[in-house]
Formats: sequence, C-alpha cells, structure tokens
Amino acid sequence: MNLGDVQLKTQDSMVIARLTGEIDLSNAQGVGQAIARGITHEALGLVLDLTGLDFLDSAGVQLIYQLRRDLRARGQDLILAISDDSAPADTLRLAGISSQLRIRKTVEEALAAGAAGPE
Amino acid sequence: MSVGPPRGGAPPFPPGTGQVVLEPAEAELGPTEQMRTLYRLSDPALSELGLDELLGELLVRVQDALSVDTVAILLYDEEAQQLVARAAKGIEEEVEQGVRVPIGRGFAGRIAAERVAIFVADVDHADILNPILRQKRIRSLLGVPLIVEGDLIGVLHVGSLKPRTFGPRDVAVLQLAAARAAPGIERARLFSALEYEHHAAMILQRSLLPKHLVEGPGISAAARYMPATHEVGGDWYDVFPLPHGRFGVVIGDVVGHGLPAAALMGQLRTALHAYAILDHSPAGTLELVDRLMQTLPAPAMATVAYAVLDPDTGVLRLASAGHLPPLVVGGENPRLLGVAAAPPLGAFPYASWEEQHINLAPGETIVFYTDGLVERPGVPLMDSIDRLLEATAEAGSAEEACRRAAENLIPPGRLRDDIAIVALNYGPVPSEFQMRVAADPNLLVEVRRDLRRWLRSQGVPETDSREIVLAVNEACANAIEHAYSPAPAEFDLAATRDGDAVTVTVSDRGSWRSPRGQNRGRGLGIVEAAMDDVKIGTTDNGTVVRMCIKVADEPG
Repeated sequence: MNLGDVQLKTQDSMVIARLTGEIDLSNAQGVGQAIARGITHEALGLVLDLTGLDFLDSAGVQLIYQLRRDLRARGQDLILAISDDSAPADTLRLAGISSQLRIRKTVEEALAAGAAGPE
Repeated sequence: MSVGPPRGGAPPFPPGTGQVVLEPAEAELGPTEQMRTLYRLSDPALSELGLDELLGELLVRVQDALSVDTVAILLYDEEAQQLVARAAKGIEEEVEQGVRVPIGRGFAGRIAAERVAIFVADVDHADILNPILRQKRIRSLLGVPLIVEGDLIGVLHVGSLKPRTFGPRDVAVLQLAAARAAPGIERARLFSALEYEHHAAMILQRSLLPKHLVEGPGISAAARYMPATHEVGGDWYDVFPLPHGRFGVVIGDVVGHGLPAAALMGQLRTALHAYAILDHSPAGTLELVDRLMQTLPAPAMATVAYAVLDPDTGVLRLASAGHLPPLVVGGENPRLLGVAAAPPLGAFPYASWEEQHINLAPGETIVFYTDGLVERPGVPLMDSIDRLLEATAEAGSAEEACRRAAENLIPPGRLRDDIAIVALNYGPVPSEFQMRVAADPNLLVEVRRDLRRWLRSQGVPETDSREIVLAVNEACANAIEHAYSPAPAEFDLAATRDGDAVTVTVSDRGSWRSPRGQNRGRGLGIVEAAMDDVKIGTTDNGTVVRMCIKVADEPG
C-alpha cells in the first residue's frame, strides 16, 4: 500500500492532479515529479486536488511552491481544491501561505476559476 | 528369472524390415557371469535413487556390461501412445530433442507393440524411424521391452557403431538388465510423479503465503500454516495495509487439494488483495472475488472471511463467506463472533454477503482459522471451537494466540487436512506515549499513526489532534534531516497529557544548525504556529524540542 498516490487527468484544458493518502517528507518529491511530468505545454494550468488528501506536511508545501514556480515560468495557472476544515487546509494556514495561493473548495470551482483566466 | 513373454508369441516379422525377433535367451549366461551381471544391475544402492539418477546409473552399467557405444531408455507415454526418449548415453540427442516414437512403428515402436527383443544387424537396411540413429552412424541395434507385472513401461536399446551381431549372450544380458531395471524405473517414476506434484504444490503454497505479516502502530499479527501430511490444500491467510492506515486480514480455504487448489488459492489471494486496496468494503470485496470466480473455466469454491481493522478506532468490519466464525480473545470478554450463515464464494450465482461491525477493545486479538484446526472425527465441531476459545482466551498477543491454538488443537501425528491460523492484535494504548524511531522519513507515517491513536485515547479533539500531529511530524522531520551521526541514528518521542495541556518532546542526538533553506524554516514555522509554546534546547548530546498546547475537552 502506498502512503500517498497521485492520479492525473485532463479536463477543460486543465490538468487535474488528485492527491490521496498522505504526503510527507518520504514521498513529496516523487509525487511532485509525477505531476510535473503530467503537465503538458497545451494545458492552461493545473488544478491540484487535495480534497481527498489525509495529510500534508511542509515537504508538501515545498512541493506546491515548486509547482507554482515552474507553472508561472510557463505562463500556466495553479489552482488548489481544498476542503475547509481538512488536514491540508490546516497545513497551508499554519504555514501562513493560504493567502498567497488560489484556493477553491471543489475541483469544479477550481476548473471554473481556471477557465476564467489568471487573477 | 523371467522376461515378460511376448503376448501370444512373436508374430512373424514383415519381410524386408531388416529386423529379427529374438526369443528370450537366459540360458546362454553362465552361472557366474549371470550372478555378476545380476549383481551389477540389481545393486541395492540403485533402489535409493530417484528416477533420473537410476536411469543414468543403469545406462552406464548396461554400456559397461555389453561393451556397446550407445544405450537409450524410452518410456511409454500411455496417453499419447508413444515412447519418449528419457535417458541416453552416446545418443544424448534423443533425450535433448525429446524424440517420440509411435507404438508399433519403427525399431523401438515394434519392440513395444510386440513386446519382443529385436536385433537390427544393419541400420541402413532396416525400417528405422528415428533419424538420430542414422545420423549417429549406428550400425547395429539390439532392443528389449521394459515390462512390469505384464504392463509395458518402455524400451531399452543398445547400439554399436561397428557392424555387430548381437549374440544370445548379449540378448540375455540386456533382458536381464531390462527385467531388473523395469520395476525400479516404474517405482521411481510413480514416486517421482507423486513427489513432483506434492513438491510443486508445496512450493506453490509456500510461495503464495506471506513471508512476513505486515504490522503497524497498534497492530501486530501472527500466523501459522501446516500442510496436511500427504496433500497440500488450498488454505491461505494474509494481512495487508489499506488506505487511510487501515489493515485487511483474510483467511480462506479453497475446496479441493493438491496443485489445482494451491493454484486457485493463489488467484483468489491476489484478486482479493487487488480489490481490497481499492478500498472496497469487506462485503463488496467478497462479492467482487465471487464474480471473478464465476468467470473461471472450472468450477471453484472457497470459504473466506475478510475483515478491515481501523487502528485509530478499533472498529473491525467483517464479512464471511461460509467461513468458520472468528474468535475475539485476550480481553475481558473472550468470545466467538456470531457470523450470519452465508454461502461460500463461487457457490451460487449473484450471491451477496453481509457485513458486521465489531468494536475491539485495546489489547484484544481476533483469531481466524480454517476447518483443519477444529474438525476431528467423532468430535462435534462446536466442542472443538469451544476448546479453541478456552485455549486462547487469555492470549496477550497475536503470537500467543497462534501458539496456544496450535499447541492445544493440532493433533499429534499426521494431519488429514491443512491448517491455517491468523491473528491480529489491537494493541493497548499506553497512558504515556513513548517511541524511539530510526531517522528514516519512511517512518514518519508510523509516528503520526501512533500519536493520533494516543491522542484519541486521551480524549483530545480531532481539530487539536491534527495540529499536534502536524507539528510533531515537522519536529521529527527536522530530527531526521539533522541526523548526522554515522551510526544508525534514532530520535525519541514522548508525549503526556496533564489536565488540558498536552506536551510533546522530540529529542535527537544531532545538533541543529540554523534552519537550512526555506523548507526547514517553513517546518519550524508550522511547529510554532500550531503549538502554544515551543522551546528548542541544545544539550551536549543533541537537540530537544519541547512543544506544549492547551486542548479543548472532548465534548461528552
């Protein structure tokens, strides 16, 4: 059983990366590489779906920062889907970076935000 | 001594085949010579050998006794009505190429069909099917049938690269060899076939059963498997991790024995595991395996019990397809779990199974077993199960439950059926949390799981628990990243609750530098944001992070 897992798909010209299980120091890098490989040049951006994630630590936060930097360099958006009152929401709040990221409550809302273009 | 006589005497040989049928000729051997040859071919040591070794040894001895260039043994494949080259000397190609000769045709085929000795003076002018005999430039051949209790089991033939007239003495020696060797070959062949099947089934069974049972924080597992004395069965067990930190435990018993049962067991074990890790419910998992079994070409049936344990809560979800009821032991109320009557997997089309939820108290062990453990001739099944419950009632661990079950229930002597036992212990939660962990990022998940469980046992609310677990995870990640020690590094974790305050300390033996890079800085930031009070102290031995937080009282 893997600690965490990632599934990629493309919808409405956005790549959706759904993370499940737990992301920590042991697997964040591998997950980040898998997502980076899955982002095509044609995609408008990435929806990082954390609604099914049970745990995220600072290595996961680092992964999000890295993804945002890479996407920005290519002119692509990063939008996060995170449920309120969830472990990943705690992590981003305690890391003090919630305000720096585009966050929606569901994948659908994140896709709509992606379609609307950069803020 | 006797050589299997030709049935109804030797028929007249078709003209022009170059083959001569010979009558048995034992009288041609002088007593001393006969004794010597007899001894060489009936050496008691030969009966100790397996089939391959026995054939190899016979080839050498026959070659030696007759001074021939080639010796070959072909065994009778009754199903195919063919002779199959099984051992050869001088014409090893026969075996390597798997030469097959139809009964009744050619040199060896005729020996088999007519059960007579045949001499071929000149291979070039004889009816020889096997091209290898010509290619090897064999000039003359002599062959005899191998017969046991009137049944043909093969053909033994020798060859000479120079034209040679095999005389009555040669025929006598070869017939003697055949008569002596045939029962040994047959015995070794039967034994080999049985041994092979038994061995293959054993190896398959062993390779399919898990070598190490997965364990986790708060969960320990143990198992036993004992094959039946004469036959391998289709019992299996497994313990595997599932999403969200849960554990799956399964026991099953495939109807049938031997290789087919072991092979089917392997399929079912893999199928169940594959469905289970997709997070299907226990009843849903059984249903999917059942549907898969309905598609198998041969009818297949198995009793299976599958349960999922959540180590955070002790809730066990159990579904049973006609399997014997498990026991819960080691607590205040040792009991047999009542399991609703339900069909085995594969028994009826479109069956479905019910699920029950059981609350395991910390320290309790659930024990699954197969019928081999409790079925005794003349003993009511419930009496055996009661004995099992009595024997394991006070087991303090999964291992102890298995040991007591095995010691008290497995009869001495031979086993009629195979036996599997698997036990899962829901570990007790200590009042004070202490853990020593190797500096390995892969162990962070265990730290979190153990800590979550302890926090729950202390009545710490979920929202507080999440923040504490995150903060401790970050402090531990720091300790891991600062583990400079050349020896395998470890760190210690301790947690206490005093009133509404939870205090956690993480002590390592490394010295923390100022935060390296943005990431570690972020980790410490999280610790400080999550906890009310954080102190980082450096001692001569290492670094201690002491974190304190006031938690809300759990409502109710």
